[in-house]
Amino acid sequence: MWGWWRKNRPLVFAGVLLLTALLWYSVNLRQKDETNFLESVVLRVTGPVQATLDRAIVGAADIWGHYLYLVDTSEDNQELIKENRTLRAVLAQSDEVRLENERLRLLLEFKEAQAFETLPARVIAEDASSWFRTVMIDKGSEQGVTEGMPVVVAEGVVGRVVRSSPRFSRVLLITDASSAVASLLQGNRARGVCRGKGEQLVFDFVLRQEGVGIGDRVVTSGMGGVFPKGLVVGSVKGVNRQEFGLFQEIEVTPSVDFSHLEEVLILLRSSQ
Amino acid sequence: MNKTLIYLALAGIAVILQTVFLPLVLQGYYKPDLLLILVIYLGLHEEPWRGGLLVYFLGWCNDGIAGVFPGLTGFVLLGIFLTVRGFVTRVNTESSPLLLLLVIAGTILQSVMVAFALDFFSNTARIWPQMVWQLPVQVLLNFVAAFVLLRLIVWLQRTFMPRKALPGLRKLDSRHES
Repeated sequence: MWGWWRKNRPLVFAGVLLLTALLWYSVNLRQKDETNFLESVVLRVTGPVQATLDRAIVGAADIWGHYLYLVDTSEDNQELIKENRTLRAVLAQSDEVRLENERLRLLLEFKEAQAFETLPARVIAEDASSWFRTVMIDKGSEQGVTEGMPVVVAEGVVGRVVRSSPRFSRVLLITDASSAVASLLQGNRARGVCRGKGEQLVFDFVLRQEGVGIGDRVVTSGMGGVFPKGLVVGSVKGVNRQEFGLFQEIEVTPSVDFSHLEEVLILLRSSQ
Repeated sequence: MNKTLIYLALAGIAVILQTVFLPLVLQGYYKPDLLLILVIYLGLHEEPWRGGLLVYFLGWCNDGIAGVFPGLTGFVLLGIFLTVRGFVTRVNTESSPLLLLLVIAGTILQSVMVAFALDFFSNTARIWPQMVWQLPVQVLLNFVAAFVLLRLIVWLQRTFMPRKALPGLRKLDSRHES
């Protein structure tokens, strides 16, 4: 017995250590929606460094683009002058449309777009791993940001806040595998859940008999309690309807270009 | 203590590179896992207890800026560290091709452990199909990063510290390899 123990002691210790780590991870899954002490410390320490470096990089790129790399600038200038004239004409027309739109919106009391207080934030860093899809933003609990708040851009839903420290927060993108957004097809109102799949989304639990076409728009249904109703999630890219089974497989392209995410809006709370 | 601080500083630099600089250079979400390379190096040259605790701590810290599962990276990196420790007495730890080979094997083991921990323990969607697609690119990126780092470290050591030797990198200079 003693001989066996002496021979296998390192292996037993390694096994016990690994099992303990796995159990500890498993126990912590219950608290995965809250920011723990260590995560808060890491956000506080890395956030300022990342924000400073991000500003430095943006500044360097700005100097390079505006003062050093001036090839084709003259041609661009001529093009922009032409474009400016055209846009002025379009703007004059669109002002009229905008005023009409405002009047109609007031008339219909369609205030959903202003129903939430928003807080703009800058994306300062990406996830440290290739397996997950999160970004860090430069707003935190000092500005009223808490876990679970939805994050959007003009094109649609970005994700939700999953960790917050006083000055920085982390946002889980809707393309992450652990993200699920209660959604519906804008055309026929078929409900389902949009799950992340790396760079695409999968629209699950849509019944086989529901008619779905390529390009159909998918919006949030407001059922999950995180995202308000009507935010654009993406558009249908492909539909796979098997001969058997309750549901169809729908692939969705997100409306947001996550590779060029720079500024976002956090929906703080209802202003009403 | 000094060594531990150096490892922590290296991990910090790795994290900053991965979250701020590399996303600007590389397209998409892919980035080399520099922390994994550090863990494999620790597995080859550190004592089990000190190295194990350090790796587990680094994993926990990494979870503050990667994913949403506290303890996941700690578990995965500890698994990789212990696996490397298991082999360390049977191989020539001074060989640079071995380190590159271990980086490839470590990346595969990492993805298997992440998929196991997520698909069996959490309520997320199945992540392994996504990981299978990403794995070849990730292996290639980690391999290239490890190769470049090895060359860079050896060059830096030869240029700035010719009389000093880094543990495990003493013979990585091509003049000492046959």
